[in-house]
Amino acid sequence: MKIIQKYYSIGGLALLVFFGAFISACSFDEQVDPNRPSLAGVLTDASQNQLNNLVVGVESAMRNSLPIQTTASGTMARELYLFDADPRNTGDLLGGNGSNLDNNSFYSTAPWGGRYVSIKNANILLQSLDNTTSVTDTQKAGYRGFAKTVIAYELIEVLKMYNRARIDVADPDNLGPILEFDAALTAVRALLDEALSDLNGAGSEFAFPLAGFDGFDTPSTFAQFNRATAAVAAVYAGDGGAALTALSNSYFDLNGDLNIGPKHIFSLDSGDQTNGLFKIPDNNGDQIIVHDSFIADAEAGDTRVSSKTLIRANPTTQDDLSGAYQTALYASNISPIDMCRNEELILVYAEANILTNDLSEAENALNVIRNSAGLADLPLPIVPYTAEELTTELLNQRRYSLWCENHRMFDLRRYNLSNTLPIDRAGDQIFNIMPTPLSENE
Amino acid sequence: MKQKLLGKTFLWLFFALPLLGFSQGTVSGNITDSSYGGPLAGVNVVVKGTSRGAVSDFDGNYSINVNSFPATLVFTSLGYETKELTVEGPTTLNVSMAESATGLDEVIVTGLGTSIKRSNLANAVATVSNQELVGTTAQSTLDGALYGKLTGVNITSSSGAPGGGFALRLRGISSINGNNQPLYIVDGVYVNNAEIPSGLRFASGANRGNEENSANRIADLDPNDIQNIEVLKGASAAAIYGTRANAGVVIITTKRGSQGKTEVKFSQDTGFNTIIKRLGLRPWTAQSVEDTFGAAEVTLYNQAIANGGLFDYEDIIYGETGLITDTRISASGGDEKTKFYVGASYRNEEGIIKNTGFDRFSLRANVDHKISNTFNFSASSNYVRSSSSRSFTGNENEGGLSYGYTLAFTRPWIDLFPDETGTYPDNPNYSGNPIFVRDLAKNEDKNNRFIQGIKLEANVLNTGDDAVKLIFNGGADFLANETFVYVPETHQAQRGNQNGFIGVGKNNFTNFNYQGIAVWNHNAMGGDLALTSQGGISYLEQQADLIFNQSTQLIPDQTNLSQGSAQAITQNTSVVKEFGYFAQVEGNYQDQLIATVGYRFDKSTLNGNPNKYYGFPKASLAVNLHNFDFWSDGALQRLKLRAAYGETGSSAAFGSAFTGLNQVSIGGVGGSSISALKGDPNVEPETSSEFEIGFDAGLFNKVNLEVSYYNRNVSDLLLSRVLPTSTGFGSETTNLADLKNYGVEVGITVNPVQEENFFWTSNINWWFNRSEITRLDVPPFPQPGAGFGLGLGTFYIEEGKPVTQLAGNVNGVPTQIGNVEPDFQMGFFNNFTIAKQFDVSFLLQWKKGGDNINLSKLLTDLGGTTPDLDTPEAQERTSLGFVAERFVEPAGYLRLREAAVYYRLPSSALAFFGDTVTGVKLGVSGRNIFTITDYSSYDPETSTNGGAGLSSGIEVTPFPSTKQFYFHLNVNF
Repeated sequence: MKIIQKYYSIGGLALLVFFGAFISACSFDEQVDPNRPSLAGVLTDASQNQLNNLVVGVESAMRNSLPIQTTASGTMARELYLFDADPRNTGDLLGGNGSNLDNNSFYSTAPWGGRYVSIKNANILLQSLDNTTSVTDTQKAGYRGFAKTVIAYELIEVLKMYNRARIDVADPDNLGPILEFDAALTAVRALLDEALSDLNGAGSEFAFPLAGFDGFDTPSTFAQFNRATAAVAAVYAGDGGAALTALSNSYFDLNGDLNIGPKHIFSLDSGDQTNGLFKIPDNNGDQIIVHDSFIADAEAGDTRVSSKTLIRANPTTQDDLSGAYQTALYASNISPIDMCRNEELILVYAEANILTNDLSEAENALNVIRNSAGLADLPLPIVPYTAEELTTELLNQRRYSLWCENHRMFDLRRYNLSNTLPIDRAGDQIFNIMPTPLSENE
Repeated sequence: MKQKLLGKTFLWLFFALPLLGFSQGTVSGNITDSSYGGPLAGVNVVVKGTSRGAVSDFDGNYSINVNSFPATLVFTSLGYETKELTVEGPTTLNVSMAESATGLDEVIVTGLGTSIKRSNLANAVATVSNQELVGTTAQSTLDGALYGKLTGVNITSSSGAPGGGFALRLRGISSINGNNQPLYIVDGVYVNNAEIPSGLRFASGANRGNEENSANRIADLDPNDIQNIEVLKGASAAAIYGTRANAGVVIITTKRGSQGKTEVKFSQDTGFNTIIKRLGLRPWTAQSVEDTFGAAEVTLYNQAIANGGLFDYEDIIYGETGLITDTRISASGGDEKTKFYVGASYRNEEGIIKNTGFDRFSLRANVDHKISNTFNFSASSNYVRSSSSRSFTGNENEGGLSYGYTLAFTRPWIDLFPDETGTYPDNPNYSGNPIFVRDLAKNEDKNNRFIQGIKLEANVLNTGDDAVKLIFNGGADFLANETFVYVPETHQAQRGNQNGFIGVGKNNFTNFNYQGIAVWNHNAMGGDLALTSQGGISYLEQQADLIFNQSTQLIPDQTNLSQGSAQAITQNTSVVKEFGYFAQVEGNYQDQLIATVGYRFDKSTLNGNPNKYYGFPKASLAVNLHNFDFWSDGALQRLKLRAAYGETGSSAAFGSAFTGLNQVSIGGVGGSSISALKGDPNVEPETSSEFEIGFDAGLFNKVNLEVSYYNRNVSDLLLSRVLPTSTGFGSETTNLADLKNYGVEVGITVNPVQEENFFWTSNINWWFNRSEITRLDVPPFPQPGAGFGLGLGTFYIEEGKPVTQLAGNVNGVPTQIGNVEPDFQMGFFNNFTIAKQFDVSFLLQWKKGGDNINLSKLLTDLGGTTPDLDTPEAQERTSLGFVAERFVEPAGYLRLREAAVYYRLPSSALAFFGDTVTGVKLGVSGRNIFTITDYSSYDPETSTNGGAGLSSGIEVTPFPSTKQFYFHLNVNF
């Protein structure tokens, strides 16, 4: 009997030893993300490779949510309709049936979020530069000039859409206040000047490659983009003199190729994006339809109408809205989108000259644009054109030169002309400022 | 001395053995229900003190070999009082068993290594037997089979596609971003219930993987294999499972063999699927066509009318009748040492959309073996191969794939059928032609799965008053899942853009877990107090490797990944490890007072600190008043008062502690961009503490009542809160809030009529749950991934409000516009046995209250195709504009969930087959036979955001639910 019991105990002992082995062996390692590099890993002692990866992140994210940013503001400015399965594109944005813009819908949250991802990547780059010795101080100045210029460019996009922006976002746990338009724009212009001084001390070459910046990929040529952006910011601030100064140091060329300028580029590569503003011609259910007024209001022979739009095989109707033309702005889903081309700078030059009261030079610039679109010079007036008349012409040329490029809503807002827009359906309303997203917790 | 003793024993055995041989024999007989005399199938007959057993067949016949007489036979059956009878020798013994409506003798698992009789239980643990699960009608998946059968359970269906897509919520929402699905344990193995996205969103434009309406993988388990399901609904019952149990635990026991004659069972179900209801066509007239779409459209309308009428695309796409077959064969039996159950089944289910379906081949082998008096082991093996084809439903963004979207916009006078050359026309009303998608696009998955459980027990000590047992159990669940999505380059939303899409997912999951437990049973106070103590360790590891390969810009007609010029790969791997200690002591004083205390410590690599232990206590007390001396039998025969408290936890989802950089590229150069998720390196598990009280009563020999109230507080709720996006981040998962759930559950079982030729059992389950967010450290916010923003309606996390509230912007102010929580739910099950041969049963389910947001209607309103658009109500609705309130609808319903009629052939008829056939049962049944609801779409049970997290009640063009009808044939050999 006892023997048997002993046998039992040995079996039990064996099992206990077995369990004990597991207990003692069980201490877990610190966990690391097996799927992606950590933020902390690039914030200290970043290699040049890691810094350059962040540069790519900055550039890549500049394209985030560009399609909705453009179609939403374009819809609000009656440039276009987006006919797809989301009724908010033809409802809220046009104030249909008394509806209001919502601060928690994709059209208000996505453009804001997209811009700030790029800004975040630029801020990570700036922080990493402060904590690394892998590149020289001269090279660091190049990275900084690039990062700050992009932050400023992105903040201008935010201001155009939302009329306000949060400038100080470097520390996610301690965000600065959201500034109203004027204060924010002042900060943006200061940042551009700071970036310029960085670029001026950045030597002759960047330590990183750029994409879409052909011809603007050295500190001195990138500084031209910085100044182009500064000129745009200056006219938005009503500062014509500063705009003219900035333009003179940019790639502005009154008689040059209108298409010169940095671009957002696209490809089908893994991890890359495609141009979401491209729409398959004649496709239904996902189409940018040209607002009738854009066709109807055009001067006869304006080649911008024929090059940017395409008549549809069948007119289309949705939500009591209709149109016979669709977008032809981009040839394919990998066509680039301009950040700021010479054509816009010529228009900025015209505007700056109106602001500084050099009206004949403004008229001259506007005629350059008109001619490029196959239109004759402005008719010779009996008395010289007034600033108001030229401003009207300027806004008209901007309407056709920059159609579906996120300008019209802001142009009308800054000149207080939004109420001149047509109403397509009874009960529609005109909005010209996108509400700040709910998640900003104001 | 020792030698002498052994010698004597041998001598004794030498004489005794032949005698034993003489007293061997067979006892057989018939078992009937005492109330009406009908045969009782499935009764376990065991020779007391041995593991020798048998099971009665359809006609109640049993036969058991007995080694030595006299012997005591124990007859047990779920729902009947256990009976013990002594036999003196081989004989015929007919037994009559009395119904015990609550299954008081049923054994419930309460510790990891111990169990307790239901009559002594301090929690309301729900159990579902095989008969309740699949006895009425055939079931595709086990979670879908539980509808209306348990109190406190809310089931959400995210897809009506064959092969499931369900989520179980036990006692309300227990977590918002942690795990909201219960832990499933099958024969000791923690099984995978992942909802694996197929990546079709990269073609359809859906926002997230959870909008792809994938099936959850518990669908791989054949419900017919299940002997019994126990559902531990809350922390008070599930505390011993620690950080995996916040959303409850579903313990599944599969069928096992018993000693005796080998039984072979064959069953065949044949049936069909049809759409649960049709929404119909808008009653078009030339005038309404012109009013809606303009004069030009009237020409097309008139043409169609002249050419044979309008196309009812709802009928064309959803109107198929899908054939269902389910064939099963099993054998079970065994001898004194070894018992086995082996079974194979094959289910094939066609959907109501052409080219959709689900099939599952399952093999099971369960073996129990007694090695010696000390050691025994059990092994449970299950191989499953399942596949499904679910086509394209649910949310999308301009993919032109999801049928509901396409149908919402497609005008019924447009002919979308292919022409004589086989060319499908483009849809002029939307970005896809549904006939093209149905015929040519594919969304399929395949699963190869092996689940192996093992249990080893050692009885290391057994004296009169002390018994010590060591248990090692564990197992592995390996799942290889493959997904395949194909959209041809000729699809109209692909042409000139992606130019065709192939998505291939290769996803491997390996889960394994084990436990080592020591159990000590001790009789104290001269046997009056039974103490059961246990302690042990538990380890769990879950590995996942999800690889998704995508190819676009395809070579025409090719479905191979390499035949595309733009390719992308994403990989997500994760390893989760958890380790815990537990201990529990249970004392039972003469079945009068039963008290339990227990504690569990757990650590997990999902927590910010992977080596920090979190503790989860439990305690419970049951008082069986009727077992006290003062109790006198009256109308109230039994009364048990019970109270239980327990805590459980839930760790954050994998990755919540990490802040990382995602891969991006531009201009052919790769780089890093901030990931939207901001990690919290200090993330802790959310902890639920639940207090439950209740009573069980037995009245008039006919009524059993079980009433429970629970109050559960989840503290440090894990929330994926939206961050100000100006930070560059989108969200952060961290411990931010407290949540309270409370509710009442009532179960009543009544046997109103117990006549010989008419026996009626009726069962009512009634329950409700309420929730409130009691603390929120951040401003209220719309829950990411659970809705479409405040513009169209979303779940909205707000202090003082139910977690299930739906909110929308009303005049720019976030306002509650609905609540998906029902006022109450009720299941009403009835079973009638008529003339001993007929069984009639039905299950009605009533959900009172609760709201849905019906965004399918938003789309059909926008497309001008909602059937009611010509009515004044609809005009009032459309005058509101596209605001969230417009789409809130009441989602209550009354549904005939299951109904069946079965006929058992009498023994006389079986004689025709000779000895080979021992039972034949025939029946017809149906599922979701009718529904009464004010909800205007297919099914008030819906979720566009899959099963995880806060998901239910928001509808965007789901795969319509179905009703099913079956013919059943069961034969026992």
